[in-house]
Amino acid sequence: MLTQMNVRGLLFDPYNNAYIVVLRDEHRSDVLPIWVGKSEASAIGFALENISPPRPTTHDLMKSMLDNVDAKILSAVVTDLKDNTYYAKIHLWYGDSEYSVDARPSDAIALALRAEAPIFTAETVLRKQRSEELERWLETVKPEDFGKLDT
Amino acid sequence: MSVGQNTDLILLKVLGVTDDPNTDTQIVILRDEANADILPIWMGPTEGTAIRYALEDTVLPRPTSHDLMASLLTHLGITMTHVVVTNVQDNTYYAMIYLCSNGRERTVDARPSDAIALALRAKCPIYVTQDVLKNGGGANVTTWLAKLGQQAHGQTETQDDSPKTSQQTED
Repeated sequence: MLTQMNVRGLLFDPYNNAYIVVLRDEHRSDVLPIWVGKSEASAIGFALENISPPRPTTHDLMKSMLDNVDAKILSAVVTDLKDNTYYAKIHLWYGDSEYSVDARPSDAIALALRAEAPIFTAETVLRKQRSEELERWLETVKPEDFGKLDT
Repeated sequence: MSVGQNTDLILLKVLGVTDDPNTDTQIVILRDEANADILPIWMGPTEGTAIRYALEDTVLPRPTSHDLMASLLTHLGITMTHVVVTNVQDNTYYAMIYLCSNGRERTVDARPSDAIALALRAKCPIYVTQDVLKNGGGANVTTWLAKLGQQAHGQTETQDDSPKTSQQTED
């Protein structure tokens, strides 16, 4: 069972000196925070804000290579959560076949946003991450924290 | 291409990645086969790390962005034949990635950092045009390299490089 997610925005997590990509389902009932590094966060941030630097970023290159060979990104799916690590798959269409490639969610999301492809999360992932610790952490997030990096 | 430009391709070897002690950037040092010219390319820490991992054959538990890119190509049966550092303008280097998909050659514009990080993963050759090598590996670079202390050279070395690397770098 897959749930379609929207990228709600990016947050800075000062405790871990990392960024959090906040995904939320269409009905706004589930939130999936994914911790990512700085460069992964900016790859997602650029896509959210439609920023195109003068030279292609790594994810711009990824997209342009796929465009060049007429490969189409169908979707990005966050497939699993194990030991605090999220797993994702990128689904592509190339030639007359479908392919799926293992990726980190940060890369999968950065690529899906550039390709305007939908992002999904497996139901099991949403269930697994509803741990108390995360809930508690999210309660400490103030609305203004969202405002800073929201698009 | 205007008359007089030399776009002959020269094969480059990646010597290593070093921290630029003067800025928060990293330098990838490339050298031609004849060991006559050095081409240093400045890049951000993320890009430098991507190249360092490839040089050291470091495989992380989860794929990096460049691992993913290489894996996308492999999955789709697309071959990366070679990459070329094609141009330098206002201190910005330009590169081109050559792909072969279903027998057709395709070229993709890229930053040299991405092109090199990918070429190392795909184990395909890295070239530079004669012009870029002459313009980029000029006297100013030699001066800059001379200013680097022994300590900085030590960082240049990657584990799988030959022990002679740092000695050759100072030639």
